[in-house]
Amino acid sequence: MVRRSLRSRSLRKLRVRTPGGRTAQRFKGRKNAVSKCAICKKPLAGMPKVTDATLSKLSKSQRRPERPFGGNLCSSCSRRELKRRLFESVQ
Amino acid sequence: MFEIGRICMKTAGREAGKYCVVVAKEKDKEFLLVTGPKAATKVRRRKCNYRHLEATPYKIEIAENATDEDVMAAYEKEGIMAKLKIVPLTEEQMRLSAERAEKHKAAKAAEPEAHEHKAGHKHEAKEHKAEKAKEHKEAKPKKTRAKKEKKE
Repeated sequence: MVRRSLRSRSLRKLRVRTPGGRTAQRFKGRKNAVSKCAICKKPLAGMPKVTDATLSKLSKSQRRPERPFGGNLCSSCSRRELKRRLFESVQ
Repeated sequence: MFEIGRICMKTAGREAGKYCVVVAKEKDKEFLLVTGPKAATKVRRRKCNYRHLEATPYKIEIAENATDEDVMAAYEKEGIMAKLKIVPLTEEQMRLSAERAEKHKAAKAAEPEAHEHKAGHKHEAKEHKAEKAKEHKEAKPKKTRAKKEKKE
């Protein structure tokens, strides 16, 4: 049985083959959380849920949507925000 | 509301938050032909769903299917750029974006060629391997004969 402190599902587990031929389990840090909209807190689409090392190797356009408020607000919240800004600027 | 010449703001997509003008409409259909033009607001000349546009109270007088140059002339006539605080692209920015577009086209044209080259290469590689295997088979008995001669 795994130690109780290591039973969390947010831990990243890797399988490693040892020189003795066994397959051992190594706990390597925590998994990243899914990105959420800053206003409505819904999970954001187009944001890969991947380790920081992998994320740093992705190109900028692969990390977030190509849209104003791209990695910050969901599509519906960003539309609402743009319309609100237009309404205020026109007045 | 979305008549020809109406200035709108795009609310969805990569060009969201940018102003554009309605240039053409189809009857009883959702799509409008819309243009920035690109030199002014970076919005390209293409169709857009009216649900992804938000109308502004501003309007310019243009003919249906007006060219981008006509739209720019109408913008200057009515001073729209100042009203909406649009900063047009500089000549250098236009030149850079044109270069980028050409590079993209060239890269796309080169891709299918690369695929064909790869497929032919694999076939050639297989033939090459088969030939090499044959050569190896022929070479082996020669080596053994040489060894026997050396022993003797």
